[in-house]
Amino acid sequence: MEESEKKRLLGLMADKLNRSVKMCLDNCTRCGVCIDACHAYASTGDVRYTAVARAQNIRRLFENYHKFTGKVAPWLNEAVELDERWMEKVYETAFTCTGCRRCMTYCPFGIDTQQIQAIAKAMLIGADMDPKPLTMRAKAEIDKGEKLEATKEKFAKEVEKIRAEMVEKWPTTGGYDLIPLDVKNVDVLFVSMAEKPSILPAARILNAARENWTLSCFEAVNFGAFLGSQSMTEQIYQRIVSEAEQLRVKELVICECGTAYRIMKHVIGKRNFDVITFMELIDRYIRDGRIKLDKSRIEGTITYHDPCQIARNGGVYEEPRNCLKAVTDNFIEMTPNRQANWCCGGGGGLVIAAEPEFRMLTSRVKADQIKATSADVVATACEMCFAQLKDLNDDYELDVRVSLVSDLVAEALVEE
Amino acid sequence: MADKLWYFVMVPMVYLAFAWCIVWIVVKIIEILRTPNLPGTLRIFPEGNNPQNPPSYPLAAAAWDAFTMPSVRRHNPVLWVFLCIFHVSIALLILAHIDLAPQVNIMPATSEHMIGNGVVGIAVTVSILYFLFRRFRTPVREVSVPADYLLLILLLAIVMTGDIMSWGNSWAENGFIITKKDFGDYFNSLLRFTFSDPRQFLTGSHYAVIGAHVLLANLFLIVLPFSKIMHAFFAAPLNKLRRG
Repeated sequence: MEESEKKRLLGLMADKLNRSVKMCLDNCTRCGVCIDACHAYASTGDVRYTAVARAQNIRRLFENYHKFTGKVAPWLNEAVELDERWMEKVYETAFTCTGCRRCMTYCPFGIDTQQIQAIAKAMLIGADMDPKPLTMRAKAEIDKGEKLEATKEKFAKEVEKIRAEMVEKWPTTGGYDLIPLDVKNVDVLFVSMAEKPSILPAARILNAARENWTLSCFEAVNFGAFLGSQSMTEQIYQRIVSEAEQLRVKELVICECGTAYRIMKHVIGKRNFDVITFMELIDRYIRDGRIKLDKSRIEGTITYHDPCQIARNGGVYEEPRNCLKAVTDNFIEMTPNRQANWCCGGGGGLVIAAEPEFRMLTSRVKADQIKATSADVVATACEMCFAQLKDLNDDYELDVRVSLVSDLVAEALVEE
Repeated sequence: MADKLWYFVMVPMVYLAFAWCIVWIVVKIIEILRTPNLPGTLRIFPEGNNPQNPPSYPLAAAAWDAFTMPSVRRHNPVLWVFLCIFHVSIALLILAHIDLAPQVNIMPATSEHMIGNGVVGIAVTVSILYFLFRRFRTPVREVSVPADYLLLILLLAIVMTGDIMSWGNSWAENGFIITKKDFGDYFNSLLRFTFSDPRQFLTGSHYAVIGAHVLLANLFLIVLPFSKIMHAFFAAPLNKLRRG
């Protein structure tokens, strides 16, 4: 690696060294308690796939370039030089981890692997080693924001088709815009995945509740965050923030997308609107009697997979369960659940960035966990988890139906 | 020559090591405080009625996590037991060393022993041996670095020389005759900066053991600010990030 290249990459590393990252890098005692936390290690027994081993790949660089001990006795903490070979280890840190932060619930200090992972991701972007499918998607999202009028026009055409389908399927509904777009001063701005499978059930539920809402023309998912690019992440979420501010909405409701929710709720800071998940909104409708659900429509037992970014990293645990208990009397928990739930293995953009073989290999514990429930339906509240669970279902022959919670609610919806 | 070396170890080096340790700890803390923090929360959300609400007393909650290590208790109870023994014993040993000063009398001034009558030293020795041996086993072995072993070996050497001093008092009639008061006189001379030769307080043929204990403790103080022992200062702030 050329000296100038090395210097540039180390500069990117230095830019990421905020207070929390420094504390996370400096204070690990390598006690190994976090080892058992990772689904990838639990599935493979490979120590490379542990929080501490992934962090060590960055910590050893930090030791060499930022620590006194690394200068006087590099062997003490195994300080390493940055070179092409080590960049492979940096890649391992960034893209063998889903950023589920389960390890934080094991670590006695709460060391945040995702923060350390952010250094790795920034360096990979700098070295042009970022996973291109993620980069392409992130760029496309930014492009949509920059060409706003064209985006709106194209999206309106798509929505028109979905509207027509809704009227055809549910002719009794009408008298109002089934999928309102670009409406100001509404109570709810719903941010979907900007695709029919995400818009259709949401529109049915929102309309059934007689919600005063409008649909965002942007997709919720933030590929910039998966990629680890701070500037891209900001550009992508800023599109939605600007839209919400321009439309002067009261609540921003995020569809079933864990990362989008965490960013909008916990990263962007306080805004003039509240941010909630669709699960919280549906739960509110059920409690207030604004929607009616028929428990006989969904057959079999239902279990729930807590998406890491919504549950452990977002604090939404009970609302999705309340929704499911409203559509069935046969709800069963998987073990462990809530904060301790195993990651699906597809988060952090790995559904797109990682090889399917790797995702399946490192998610054996998740498949075993689902199998142990003997459930007929596995519901979740995150599109990434949904995609990964479907792959697991096929690969491990779990013979379950994988569904989003909102799909089940829409299915059980009694439209009056 | 040897006398001069022992004197250096027992008196000037103690001051130098303490000063070095304190200055670097302060530098490290200031360095962290001056680094900009990340906007947004790094919180892990608890289960319960109001998971979205941060704890009423986040600092107290973080201190609780740092001192009682509930996550270790849940996931590795055996390690937790040894960690508790180790940390409580270390706290008692610090207290016992403070008690050596004649101005403090937790143990009676006439006592031959420090706090714990030698049991505390054994407890900390056993826990360090556990920490060391578990690093020879997979998977902890794979994530360990030389500093992890060396630091434990250094700690082990310090407490074992301490154990010898403590237990040696009862080994033989003509064995250790150095009492709490004798150590207290040495401590007092250090506190008063008299630069007296410690041999006048610490008589007997085991002076080298005491010297080795002090030398190793000095080394520990020198490496402490650059070691992972700094978690003693950052465990609570880190846990505060997790608590929100």
